[in-house]
Amino acid sequence: MNKKQEQNASFMVRFNQQIFEENEEAKIQWRGKITHVQDGDEKRFSDFNDALVFMQNKLASLTEEATKHESSEKQESILDKSLSMWKTIKDVGPKVIRDTLKDPKKQLSHLQDEIHDKITIIGDEISEKVQINEWRNASRSDFNKIQNQIESLSTEIKKLSKKMDTLNKK
Amino acid sequence: MPNFLQQLQDLNTFYENATIRIETLGNFVVWRNQQKIETKEWGRDKTIQLLQFLVSNRQRNALHKEKIMDNLWDDWNDRDFKVALHGINKVLEPNRPTRTEPIYIERQGVSYQINLDKVWIDVEALEQYIIIGNKCLSTELQIAKQAYQKAIALYKGTFLPNRIYEDWTSEEREKTQLLILGAYITLAEILLDENPLESIRLAQNALAIDATWEDAYRIQMKGYIKKGNRPQAIKTYMKCEVILEEEYGISPLPQTKNLLKEIESIA
Repeated sequence: MNKKQEQNASFMVRFNQQIFEENEEAKIQWRGKITHVQDGDEKRFSDFNDALVFMQNKLASLTEEATKHESSEKQESILDKSLSMWKTIKDVGPKVIRDTLKDPKKQLSHLQDEIHDKITIIGDEISEKVQINEWRNASRSDFNKIQNQIESLSTEIKKLSKKMDTLNKK
Repeated sequence: MPNFLQQLQDLNTFYENATIRIETLGNFVVWRNQQKIETKEWGRDKTIQLLQFLVSNRQRNALHKEKIMDNLWDDWNDRDFKVALHGINKVLEPNRPTRTEPIYIERQGVSYQINLDKVWIDVEALEQYIIIGNKCLSTELQIAKQAYQKAIALYKGTFLPNRIYEDWTSEEREKTQLLILGAYITLAEILLDENPLESIRLAQNALAIDATWEDAYRIQMKGYIKKGNRPQAIKTYMKCEVILEEEYGISPLPQTKNLLKEIESIA
Protein backbone atom coordinates (compact mmCIF):
# COMPACT_ATOMS: atom_id res chain seq x y z
CA MET A 1 0.00 0.00 0.00
CA ASN A 2 1.15 3.50 -0.77
CA LYS A 3 1.81 5.93 2.03
CA LYS A 4 -1.02 8.32 2.84
CA GLN A 5 1.15 11.24 1.82
CA GLU A 6 1.56 9.79 -1.65
CA GLN A 7 -2.21 9.60 -2.08
CA ASN A 8 -2.82 13.22 -1.20
CA ALA A 9 -2.61 16.42 -3.15
CA SER A 10 -3.34 19.71 -1.43
CA PHE A 11 -3.84 23.00 -3.21
CA MET A 12 -3.81 26.50 -1.82
CA VAL A 13 -5.71 28.94 -4.02
CA ARG A 14 -5.45 32.69 -3.60
CA PHE A 15 -7.88 35.05 -5.31
CA ASN A 16 -7.19 38.74 -5.52
CA GLN A 17 -9.98 40.98 -6.77
CA GLN A 18 -9.43 44.24 -8.58
CA ILE A 19 -12.42 46.50 -9.02
CA PHE A 20 -11.85 49.44 -11.31
CA GLU A 21 -13.47 51.78 -13.78
CA GLU A 22 -12.62 51.83 -17.43
CA ASN A 23 -14.38 53.95 -20.03
CA GLU A 24 -16.87 54.94 -17.32
CA GLU A 25 -17.79 51.34 -16.80
CA ALA A 26 -17.26 49.45 -13.53
CA LYS A 27 -15.17 46.34 -14.02
CA ILE A 28 -13.81 43.55 -11.92
CA GLN A 29 -10.77 41.42 -12.53
CA TRP A 30 -9.76 38.31 -10.63
CA ARG A 31 -6.14 37.36 -10.28
CA GLY A 32 -5.32 34.04 -8.75
CA LYS A 33 -2.47 31.90 -7.61
CA ILE A 34 -2.66 28.19 -7.03
CA THR A 35 0.04 26.31 -5.16
CA HIS A 36 0.50 22.57 -5.03
CA VAL A 37 1.57 22.15 -1.43
CA GLN A 38 3.43 18.86 -1.73
CA ASP A 39 5.94 20.08 -4.34
CA GLY A 40 5.63 23.84 -3.96
CA ASP A 41 4.82 24.44 -7.65
CA GLU A 42 2.76 27.52 -8.34
CA LYS A 43 0.68 28.82 -11.20
CA ARG A 44 -0.88 32.24 -11.55
CA PHE A 45 -4.11 32.61 -13.44
CA SER A 46 -6.67 35.13 -14.55
CA ASP A 47 -8.83 32.37 -16.01
CA PHE A 48 -9.94 29.73 -13.52
CA ASN A 49 -9.64 27.04 -16.19
CA ASP A 50 -5.86 27.40 -15.96
CA ALA A 51 -6.06 26.57 -12.26
CA LEU A 52 -8.14 23.50 -13.02
CA VAL A 53 -5.66 22.36 -15.65
CA PHE A 54 -2.86 22.81 -13.11
CA MET A 55 -4.74 20.67 -10.57
CA GLN A 56 -5.55 18.10 -13.21
CA ASN A 57 -1.89 17.75 -14.17
CA LYS A 58 -0.78 17.37 -10.57
CA LEU A 59 -3.44 14.75 -9.90
CA ALA A 60 -2.57 12.89 -13.08
CA SER A 61 1.07 12.74 -11.94
CA LEU A 62 -0.08 11.43 -8.58
CA THR A 63 -2.14 8.69 -10.22
CA GLU A 64 0.70 7.92 -12.61
CA GLU A 65 3.16 7.58 -9.74
CA ALA A 66 0.79 5.40 -7.73
CA THR A 67 0.15 3.07 -10.68
CA LYS A 68 3.66 2.86 -12.09
CA HIS A 69 3.96 -0.80 -11.10
CA GLU A 70 0.72 -1.76 -12.83
CA SER A 71 0.54 -3.05 -16.38
CA SER A 72 0.48 -0.26 -18.94
CA GLU A 73 -3.07 -1.25 -19.90
CA LYS A 74 -4.33 -1.00 -16.34
CA GLN A 75 -2.44 2.20 -15.71
CA GLU A 76 -3.93 3.76 -18.82
CA SER A 77 -7.40 2.72 -17.80
CA ILE A 78 -7.01 4.22 -14.31
CA LEU A 79 -5.58 7.41 -15.76
CA ASP A 80 -8.44 7.63 -18.23
CA LYS A 81 -10.95 7.33 -15.43
CA SER A 82 -9.14 9.93 -13.39
CA LEU A 83 -8.91 12.36 -16.30
CA SER A 84 -12.49 11.89 -17.47
CA MET A 85 -13.74 13.18 -14.15
CA TRP A 86 -11.46 16.18 -14.44
CA LYS A 87 -12.51 16.89 -17.99
CA THR A 88 -16.12 17.05 -16.87
CA ILE A 89 -15.34 19.27 -13.90
CA LYS A 90 -13.19 21.52 -16.05
CA ASP A 91 -16.00 21.97 -18.57
CA VAL A 92 -18.81 22.33 -16.08
CA GLY A 93 -17.17 23.51 -12.86
CA PRO A 94 -16.44 27.21 -13.37
CA LYS A 95 -19.77 27.95 -15.05
CA VAL A 96 -21.66 26.14 -12.33
CA ILE A 97 -19.83 28.07 -9.61
CA ARG A 98 -20.27 31.43 -11.34
CA ASP A 99 -23.95 30.96 -12.11
CA THR A 100 -24.70 29.49 -8.72
CA LEU A 101 -23.18 32.49 -6.99
CA LYS A 102 -25.39 34.73 -9.11
CA ASP A 103 -28.60 32.85 -8.61
CA PRO A 104 -28.38 29.53 -6.75
CA LYS A 105 -32.00 28.44 -7.27
CA LYS A 106 -32.07 29.34 -10.95
CA GLN A 107 -28.73 27.67 -11.54
CA LEU A 108 -29.72 24.46 -9.79
CA SER A 109 -32.93 24.35 -11.74
CA HIS A 110 -30.99 25.04 -14.95
CA LEU A 111 -28.50 22.32 -14.07
CA GLN A 112 -31.34 20.00 -13.32
CA ASP A 113 -32.94 20.70 -16.71
CA GLU A 114 -29.66 20.33 -18.53
CA ILE A 115 -28.81 16.99 -16.94
CA HIS A 116 -32.37 15.82 -17.27
CA ASP A 117 -32.27 16.53 -21.01
CA LYS A 118 -29.06 14.56 -21.36
CA ILE A 119 -30.47 11.68 -19.37
CA THR A 120 -33.63 11.59 -21.47
CA ILE A 121 -31.58 11.38 -24.62
CA ILE A 122 -29.50 8.48 -23.39
CA GLY A 123 -32.27 6.53 -21.74
CA ASP A 124 -34.36 6.17 -18.61
CA GLU A 125 -31.94 3.63 -17.27
CA ILE A 126 -29.50 6.27 -16.04
CA SER A 127 -31.98 8.77 -14.64
CA GLU A 128 -32.51 6.63 -11.56
CA LYS A 129 -28.89 7.10 -10.58
CA VAL A 130 -29.08 10.91 -10.31
CA GLN A 131 -31.31 12.17 -7.52
CA ILE A 132 -31.58 15.75 -8.79
CA ASN A 133 -34.55 16.57 -6.59
CA GLU A 134 -32.46 16.10 -3.50
CA TRP A 135 -30.33 19.10 -4.42
CA ARG A 136 -31.61 22.11 -2.58
CA ASN A 137 -29.02 24.70 -1.61
CA ALA A 138 -25.59 25.16 -3.05
CA SER A 139 -23.53 23.90 -0.14
CA ARG A 140 -20.06 22.38 -0.41
CA SER A 141 -21.45 18.91 0.09
CA ASP A 142 -23.91 19.56 -2.76
CA PHE A 143 -21.01 20.39 -5.02
CA ASN A 144 -19.18 17.26 -3.97
CA LYS A 145 -22.31 15.29 -4.62
CA ILE A 146 -22.73 16.96 -8.01
CA GLN A 147 -19.12 16.14 -8.85
CA ASN A 148 -19.51 12.50 -7.89
CA GLN A 149 -22.76 12.10 -9.73
CA ILE A 150 -21.44 13.82 -12.83
CA GLU A 151 -18.50 11.42 -12.69
CA SER A 152 -20.75 8.36 -12.56
CA LEU A 153 -22.99 9.87 -15.22
CA SER A 154 -19.99 10.45 -17.42
CA THR A 155 -18.90 6.81 -17.02
CA GLU A 156 -22.39 5.61 -17.85
CA ILE A 157 -22.53 7.84 -20.92
CA LYS A 158 -19.21 6.44 -22.09
CA LYS A 159 -20.40 2.87 -21.65
CA LEU A 160 -23.62 3.58 -23.51
CA SER A 161 -21.79 5.38 -26.22
CA LYS A 162 -19.54 2.35 -26.69
CA LYS A 163 -22.58 0.09 -26.86
CA MET A 164 -24.16 2.37 -29.43
CA ASP A 165 -20.99 2.28 -31.51
CA THR A 166 -20.94 -1.50 -31.40
CA LEU A 167 -24.59 -1.67 -32.38
CA ASN A 168 -24.06 0.78 -35.21
CA LYS A 169 -21.19 -1.30 -36.54
CA LYS A 170 -23.41 -4.38 -36.55
CA MET B 1 -13.22 54.24 22.88
CA PRO B 2 -10.61 51.47 23.02
CA ASN B 3 -7.16 52.50 24.17
CA PHE B 4 -5.03 51.32 21.26
CA LEU B 5 -1.81 52.65 22.72
CA GLN B 6 -2.43 50.58 25.84
CA GLN B 7 -3.12 47.50 23.71
CA LEU B 8 0.14 48.09 21.88
CA GLN B 9 2.03 48.42 25.14
CA ASP B 10 0.37 45.30 26.54
CA LEU B 11 1.60 43.34 23.54
CA ASN B 12 5.13 44.66 24.03
CA THR B 13 5.02 43.82 27.74
CA PHE B 14 3.75 40.33 27.00
CA TYR B 15 6.76 39.76 24.75
CA GLU B 16 9.20 41.05 27.37
CA ASN B 17 7.77 38.97 30.22
CA ALA B 18 6.87 35.74 28.46
CA THR B 19 8.81 32.76 29.77
CA ILE B 20 8.22 30.85 26.57
CA ARG B 21 8.59 32.51 23.18
CA ILE B 22 8.14 30.73 19.89
CA GLU B 23 9.48 32.09 16.61
CA THR B 24 8.11 30.54 13.46
CA LEU B 25 8.74 33.17 10.80
CA GLY B 26 11.86 32.56 8.73
CA ASN B 27 13.05 29.96 11.22
CA PHE B 28 11.76 27.85 14.07
CA VAL B 29 13.25 28.80 17.41
CA VAL B 30 11.87 28.38 20.91
CA TRP B 31 13.13 30.47 23.81
CA ARG B 32 12.78 29.52 27.47
CA ASN B 33 13.66 32.21 30.01
CA GLN B 34 15.44 34.20 27.26
CA GLN B 35 17.54 31.16 26.36
CA LYS B 36 17.39 29.48 23.01
CA ILE B 37 16.40 25.83 23.22
CA GLU B 38 18.86 23.69 21.30
CA THR B 39 17.55 21.22 18.71
CA LYS B 40 18.95 18.22 20.56
CA GLU B 41 16.79 19.04 23.58
CA TRP B 42 13.69 18.16 21.58
CA GLY B 43 14.86 14.64 20.89
CA ARG B 44 12.61 13.30 18.15
CA ASP B 45 11.37 15.37 15.22
CA LYS B 46 7.82 14.26 16.04
CA THR B 47 8.00 16.35 19.21
CA ILE B 48 8.79 19.46 17.19
CA GLN B 49 6.11 18.58 14.63
CA LEU B 50 3.48 18.30 17.35
CA LEU B 51 4.41 21.69 18.81
CA GLN B 52 4.39 23.26 15.35
CA PHE B 53 1.00 21.74 14.63
CA LEU B 54 -0.39 23.20 17.85
CA VAL B 55 1.07 26.58 16.87
CA SER B 56 -0.50 26.36 13.40
CA ASN B 57 -3.89 25.55 14.92
CA ARG B 58 -3.60 27.72 17.99
CA GLN B 59 -6.74 29.72 17.28
CA ARG B 60 -8.96 26.68 17.01
CA ASN B 61 -10.57 25.26 20.10
CA ALA B 62 -8.85 22.38 21.80
CA LEU B 63 -7.85 19.83 19.17
CA HIS B 64 -8.72 16.21 19.60
CA LYS B 65 -5.71 13.92 19.90
CA GLU B 66 -6.78 11.70 17.00
CA LYS B 67 -7.38 14.67 14.73
CA ILE B 68 -3.91 15.96 15.51
CA MET B 69 -2.28 12.62 14.75
CA ASP B 70 -4.34 12.07 11.59
CA ASN B 71 -3.07 15.37 10.25
CA LEU B 72 0.51 14.80 11.23
CA TRP B 73 1.51 11.23 10.68
CA ASP B 74 0.74 8.39 8.28
CA ASP B 75 0.92 5.59 10.79
CA TRP B 76 0.49 6.53 14.36
CA ASN B 77 -0.30 5.07 17.69
CA ASP B 78 -1.08 6.50 21.10
CA ARG B 79 2.49 6.03 22.16
CA ASP B 80 3.78 8.40 19.45
CA PHE B 81 1.51 11.12 20.70
CA LYS B 82 2.29 10.49 24.34
CA VAL B 83 6.03 10.56 23.74
CA ALA B 84 5.84 13.71 21.61
CA LEU B 85 3.63 15.52 24.10
CA HIS B 86 5.81 14.48 26.99
CA GLY B 87 8.80 15.77 24.97
CA ILE B 88 7.20 19.20 24.56
CA ASN B 89 6.21 19.50 28.21
CA LYS B 90 9.63 18.39 29.33
CA VAL B 91 11.33 21.05 27.22
CA LEU B 92 8.93 23.86 28.06
CA GLU B 93 8.61 23.05 31.77
CA PRO B 94 11.70 21.09 32.81
CA ASN B 95 11.08 21.74 36.49
CA ARG B 96 7.38 20.99 36.61
CA PRO B 97 6.56 18.97 39.73
CA THR B 98 5.12 15.53 39.05
CA ARG B 99 1.34 15.15 39.07
CA THR B 100 0.77 18.78 38.20
CA GLU B 101 -0.88 19.84 34.96
CA PRO B 102 1.32 21.45 32.31
CA ILE B 103 0.58 25.15 31.94
CA TYR B 104 1.73 25.88 28.39
CA ILE B 105 0.04 22.98 26.62
CA GLU B 106 -3.42 22.78 28.08
CA ARG B 107 -5.40 19.57 28.15
CA GLN B 108 -9.16 19.16 28.18
CA GLY B 109 -9.86 15.45 28.28
CA VAL B 110 -8.18 14.19 25.11
CA SER B 111 -7.97 17.59 23.44
CA TYR B 112 -5.00 19.91 23.51
CA GLN B 113 -4.12 23.52 22.81
CA ILE B 114 -1.42 26.07 23.43
CA ASN B 115 -2.12 28.55 26.20
CA LEU B 116 -1.94 31.82 24.28
CA ASP B 117 -2.06 33.87 27.49
CA LYS B 118 1.24 32.39 28.58
CA VAL B 119 3.12 31.54 25.40
CA TRP B 120 4.28 34.35 23.10
CA ILE B 121 4.22 33.32 19.44
CA ASP B 122 5.49 35.61 16.68
CA VAL B 123 2.69 34.89 14.18
CA GLU B 124 0.09 35.53 16.84
CA ALA B 125 1.75 38.80 17.88
CA LEU B 126 2.10 39.84 14.23
CA GLU B 127 -1.63 39.37 13.69
CA GLN B 128 -2.48 41.27 16.88
CA TYR B 129 -0.28 44.22 15.88
CA ILE B 130 -1.91 44.34 12.45
CA ILE B 131 -5.37 44.20 14.00
CA ILE B 132 -4.47 47.22 16.16
CA GLY B 133 -3.02 49.02 13.12
CA ASN B 134 -6.12 48.40 11.02
CA LYS B 135 -8.48 49.44 13.81
CA CYS B 136 -6.87 52.80 14.47
CA LEU B 137 -5.75 53.60 10.91
CA SER B 138 -8.38 56.27 10.36
CA THR B 139 -8.35 57.73 13.86
CA GLU B 140 -4.86 57.45 15.35
CA LEU B 141 -2.35 57.31 12.55
CA GLN B 142 0.76 57.43 14.72
CA ILE B 143 -0.31 54.38 16.71
CA ALA B 144 -1.28 52.59 13.51
CA LYS B 145 2.19 53.31 12.15
CA GLN B 146 3.85 51.90 15.25
CA ALA B 147 1.66 48.82 15.15
CA TYR B 148 2.48 48.08 11.50
CA GLN B 149 6.18 48.67 12.15
CA LYS B 150 6.08 46.20 15.04
CA ALA B 151 4.35 43.60 12.84
CA ILE B 152 6.84 44.10 10.03
CA ALA B 153 9.78 43.74 12.41
CA LEU B 154 8.43 40.32 13.37
CA TYR B 155 8.25 39.07 9.80
CA LYS B 156 11.59 37.41 9.19
CA GLY B 157 10.41 35.13 6.44
CA THR B 158 7.83 32.54 5.56
CA PHE B 159 5.97 30.57 8.24
CA LEU B 160 7.82 27.38 9.26
CA PRO B 161 10.11 27.34 6.20
CA ASN B 162 11.28 23.81 6.90
CA ARG B 163 7.69 22.52 6.62
CA ILE B 164 6.56 24.15 3.39
CA TYR B 165 5.60 20.81 1.87
CA GLU B 166 3.35 19.86 4.77
CA ASP B 167 -0.26 20.72 4.09
CA TRP B 168 -1.09 21.43 7.74
CA THR B 169 1.17 24.49 7.59
CA SER B 170 -0.21 26.05 4.37
CA GLU B 171 -3.21 27.80 5.85
CA GLU B 172 -1.17 29.71 8.41
CA ARG B 173 1.54 30.50 5.85
CA GLU B 174 -0.97 31.94 3.39
CA LYS B 175 -2.77 33.91 6.08
CA THR B 176 0.44 35.44 7.43
CA GLN B 177 1.66 36.26 3.95
CA LEU B 178 -1.50 38.18 3.11
CA LEU B 179 -1.41 39.97 6.46
CA ILE B 180 2.17 41.10 5.97
CA LEU B 181 1.58 42.11 2.34
CA GLY B 182 -1.26 44.31 3.58
CA ALA B 183 0.93 45.77 6.32
CA TYR B 184 3.78 46.58 3.91
CA ILE B 185 1.43 48.34 1.49
CA THR B 186 -0.52 50.26 4.14
CA LEU B 187 2.59 51.46 5.93
CA ALA B 188 4.25 52.35 2.62
CA GLU B 189 1.22 54.48 1.73
CA ILE B 190 1.24 56.20 5.13
CA LEU B 191 4.94 57.05 4.78
CA LEU B 192 4.87 58.14 1.15
CA ASP B 193 5.01 61.89 1.88
CA GLU B 194 7.30 61.91 4.89
CA ASN B 195 9.70 59.17 3.80
CA PRO B 196 9.36 58.07 0.15
CA LEU B 197 12.54 56.01 0.26
CA GLU B 198 11.18 53.92 3.11
CA SER B 199 7.93 53.50 1.14
CA ILE B 200 9.91 52.25 -1.84
CA ARG B 201 11.78 49.80 0.39
CA LEU B 202 8.58 48.50 2.00
CA ALA B 203 6.96 48.08 -1.41
CA GLN B 204 10.05 46.18 -2.52
CA ASN B 205 9.60 43.82 0.45
CA ALA B 206 6.03 43.22 -0.67
CA LEU B 207 7.26 42.47 -4.19
CA ALA B 208 9.80 40.02 -2.81
CA ILE B 209 6.85 38.04 -1.44
CA ASP B 210 4.64 38.49 -4.49
CA ALA B 211 6.16 40.02 -7.61
CA THR B 212 2.73 40.63 -9.13
CA TRP B 213 1.43 42.84 -6.29
CA GLU B 214 0.44 45.82 -8.42
CA ASP B 215 -0.19 48.24 -5.50
CA ALA B 216 3.49 47.94 -4.63
CA TYR B 217 4.57 49.07 -8.11
CA ARG B 218 2.30 52.12 -7.91
CA ILE B 219 3.75 53.06 -4.51
CA GLN B 220 7.26 52.75 -5.89
CA MET B 221 6.37 54.88 -8.92
CA LYS B 222 4.98 57.59 -6.62
CA GLY B 223 7.99 57.29 -4.31
CA TYR B 224 10.46 57.73 -7.17
CA ILE B 225 8.58 60.76 -8.46
CA LYS B 226 8.68 62.31 -5.00
CA LYS B 227 12.44 61.77 -5.02
CA GLY B 228 12.60 63.37 -8.47
CA ASN B 229 13.65 60.13 -10.16
CA ARG B 230 11.34 60.09 -13.19
CA PRO B 231 13.30 57.47 -15.21
CA GLN B 232 13.16 55.01 -12.31
CA ALA B 233 9.41 55.60 -11.92
CA ILE B 234 8.89 54.76 -15.61
CA LYS B 235 11.19 51.75 -15.32
CA THR B 236 9.09 50.50 -12.41
CA TYR B 237 5.96 50.69 -14.56
CA MET B 238 7.71 48.70 -17.29
CA LYS B 239 8.68 46.05 -14.77
CA CYS B 240 5.08 45.83 -13.59
CA GLU B 241 3.82 45.55 -17.16
CA VAL B 242 6.26 42.75 -18.00
CA ILE B 243 5.54 40.71 -14.89
CA LEU B 244 1.75 40.97 -15.24
CA GLU B 245 2.00 39.92 -18.87
CA GLU B 246 4.29 37.01 -18.01
CA GLU B 247 2.32 35.72 -15.05
CA TYR B 248 -1.30 36.48 -15.95
CA GLY B 249 -1.30 37.60 -19.57
CA ILE B 250 -2.93 40.88 -18.53
CA SER B 251 -1.94 44.55 -18.57
CA PRO B 252 -1.75 46.88 -15.57
CA LEU B 253 -4.91 48.42 -14.14
CA PRO B 254 -6.16 51.76 -15.52
CA GLN B 255 -5.04 53.55 -12.34
CA THR B 256 -1.48 52.32 -12.88
CA LYS B 257 -1.59 53.33 -16.54
CA ASN B 258 -2.99 56.75 -15.56
CA LEU B 259 -0.17 57.18 -13.06
CA LEU B 260 2.31 56.49 -15.85
CA LYS B 261 0.61 59.14 -18.02
CA GLU B 262 0.91 61.66 -15.16
CA ILE B 263 4.58 60.80 -14.76
CA GLU B 264 5.24 61.07 -18.49
CA SER B 265 3.56 64.46 -18.59
CA ILE B 266 6.00 65.82 -16.00
CA ALA B 267 8.42 67.99 -17.84
